[in-house]
Amino acid sequence: MPTAKVNGQEVEFENGMTVLQVAELAGEEIPRFCYHERLSIAGNCRMCLVEVKPGPPKPQASCALPAMDGQEITTNSPKVKKAREGVMEFLLINHPLDCPICDQGGECDLQDQAMAYGRDGSRFAENKRAVEDKEMGPIIKTEMTRCIQCTRCVRFITEVAGSPQIGATGRGEDLEITTYLESAVTSELSGNVIDLCPVGALTSKPYAFQARPWELKKHEGIDVMDAMGSWIRIDTRGPDVMRVLPRQNDEINEEWLSDKSRYAIDGLRTQRLDTPYVRQKGKLKPATWDEAFAAIESQLSGADAKTIGAIAGDLNEVEGLKAALDLFRSLGVQNTDCREAGAVYGAPGAPRESYLFTCGFEGLEQADAVLIIGSNPRLEAPVLNARLRKMWLKGSAEIGLVGPVMDLTYGYDHLGDEAGALEDLAKGKGAFAKVLKAAKRPALIIGTGALSRPDAAAILNAISEIAQKYKVVREGWSGWNLMHTAAGRVGALDLGFVPGKGGMDTAKMLAAAKAGKLSTLFVLGADEAVADADLGESFVVYVGHHGDAGASKANVILPAAAYTEKPGMYVNMEGRVQAMGRCVFPKGEAKDDWAIFRALSERLGKTLPYDSLADLRARLIADHPTFGRLGYAPEPQGFDLTALASKASKISTKPLTGAVDNFYFTNAIARASQTMATCAKLQSEAQPTNANAKVTA
Amino acid sequence: MGVFSKIFTWWNGSTVGTSWTLMRRGRKVGQDEFGNTYFEARDAKDSYDGRKRRYVTYTGYAEPSKIPPEWHAWMHYITDVPPSEQPLARQPWEADHQPNFTGSGRAYRPKGAIVHDTGAQKQQDHYQAWVP
Repeated sequence: MPTAKVNGQEVEFENGMTVLQVAELAGEEIPRFCYHERLSIAGNCRMCLVEVKPGPPKPQASCALPAMDGQEITTNSPKVKKAREGVMEFLLINHPLDCPICDQGGECDLQDQAMAYGRDGSRFAENKRAVEDKEMGPIIKTEMTRCIQCTRCVRFITEVAGSPQIGATGRGEDLEITTYLESAVTSELSGNVIDLCPVGALTSKPYAFQARPWELKKHEGIDVMDAMGSWIRIDTRGPDVMRVLPRQNDEINEEWLSDKSRYAIDGLRTQRLDTPYVRQKGKLKPATWDEAFAAIESQLSGADAKTIGAIAGDLNEVEGLKAALDLFRSLGVQNTDCREAGAVYGAPGAPRESYLFTCGFEGLEQADAVLIIGSNPRLEAPVLNARLRKMWLKGSAEIGLVGPVMDLTYGYDHLGDEAGALEDLAKGKGAFAKVLKAAKRPALIIGTGALSRPDAAAILNAISEIAQKYKVVREGWSGWNLMHTAAGRVGALDLGFVPGKGGMDTAKMLAAAKAGKLSTLFVLGADEAVADADLGESFVVYVGHHGDAGASKANVILPAAAYTEKPGMYVNMEGRVQAMGRCVFPKGEAKDDWAIFRALSERLGKTLPYDSLADLRARLIADHPTFGRLGYAPEPQGFDLTALASKASKISTKPLTGAVDNFYFTNAIARASQTMATCAKLQSEAQPTNANAKVTA
Repeated sequence: MGVFSKIFTWWNGSTVGTSWTLMRRGRKVGQDEFGNTYFEARDAKDSYDGRKRRYVTYTGYAEPSKIPPEWHAWMHYITDVPPSEQPLARQPWEADHQPNFTGSGRAYRPKGAIVHDTGAQKQQDHYQAWVP
């Protein structure tokens, strides 16, 4: 390996590294504005100047300079110090001194580096430049006079997000960052440019002038807006969740986060259930916990367990579901399900791998052929979609799609709208069949939308045939990937929140309710499942945190905690078990989900054997050892694909659409959010940009 | 104000020393609506800058922000004609002068300050509950 000297200290480095990276290896901190590890190198801020020997006598921009064997790099000489001071002075010439009213104040790269590397005063007495603010939509607030033209936002939007809507016009002092068409940025990842902006030019619009970073309490958390389980930081002040930022995790979300995960949090302040309700004479009336439990007790006394059902929702944490499941099983209830109506994956007894994203998000990058079936990754997991785009940009994988044509921000072979394309693939017809055949690591991404329709069993059968034919699961590689959309689902499946012996699944329960054969239905935050369902005369108990579709149909409402308000474990679609703590307290009279079921169990005379969360977790891990290992994705493992085969073979000609129709309205929190509503309105008005969707078939 | 506090406190009205000086060397110029009395020295003998020194004795607690704006202008030599001779035109939108309340119970607190937040009832301000 080549070696270089950084301030006299020898460092070994890999070929192809830049001088800046080598200096970092040696533990030297190099100031920078434009350089970012995950973006292309621009080299235009000049803040990273260092001295290099052999080389020209003037300081060099280290971010754009390849390191060479035997190089001598100096980062602390008086010359470098003077050069940095000079660059800093030039940057500050046109930067307004409005830190006291700037939202970036306190977490600003320019502020910090001006303190560390700048001069103590300015010699500039002339007029400063001013730039008109640009409109960038409901997420990004602009104050373009503050911009230092690092172009990080431009590079992110074109390279990572793949919707080139931000660009630069003009040269030199007149260079301005702008949206080319003066329109809002509509990418699902647009919020990331706010984090990337090293100054206060792009700041968060919903968070504008709400708080200062030093007033906020920071909590490490897990995102529940999609099934990726992205690492987030939840910033709170008093009882309010002020903002959500991504934490870095290369295996999951790198350092990006979708707009929904960031900005749906204003939904946590509206439409909250903060007291129990009981329906009396057709009207929901506020009640005490005691009255609500009494109503449930009188309803359940003497009821046949076969006429009681429970449906779990999309945002539930594992502990609450464990308590609920234990209670229902002790009552003899077998009608429990956590899946959407008609889902065929995760059936009782199915291998765990069959409903996981088995190769993992990071592992997916090793795939050389990816077939997306009935899924729109851009809406179902935008951060994962950025990874697919990265693979496409690298040219490391051929991507095929079965489903309607859409702008995925990368090119793909469109194999057909309907499941007929699957049969062709299973027979080895078509160009993409050859790609799959030749692939060493083929991967399937199967949307849950395709697996929850009336003909889902036949579709699953066809997909499993494809998987067997092209050896998607082989020695040292498993490319069977289910794309979930609900954060709580994999955890619930791991728990066994599926129909018990002789129990009904979601579709059957809803049908039974309509026919009047279900006396009591427990809806655990499953607003999506019951939204359009006719529940007949059933007695509905809603346990959840938002007044959404479920609450308005309920006979008894038990207020529970949202994801920021309870300690909980979530399993992402890779099968990675992750835990987070409580950030703020539940609103009003609301309680943690598990505590509600513990209290209800005592009332019903079937007291659950745990009194604290620690007891519950101990019990949970004893029953399901999977939950004992936090933070790790399971090793990619194969499984017997023939287990998924079925006799069903009749597939309808309905297009294989994804599970997510409107990205901004996928759960109760997002539906209550004003910001998400604005985004959705804008999205529906915007012209679809198909600039990047190079359909090649 | 009793003789006792006149002698022993320096923060009420003027001290004995100031009263003595003003009696000896000062000329009363006027009084504002709060009863604060303004004086000017008879000559510039003890001036620092050639201008005649100007004085105020407060009614009650000695607090410079009690001086209303028109007298503030005179005190600071912005104007030479005292408002007692040539009153400033009062605009209809002008509010009555108030001293600075910082540090007192009447101090200004912005909306959302912690002192306004008094208990659980106020938690409602932080979220909006669902109404069936």
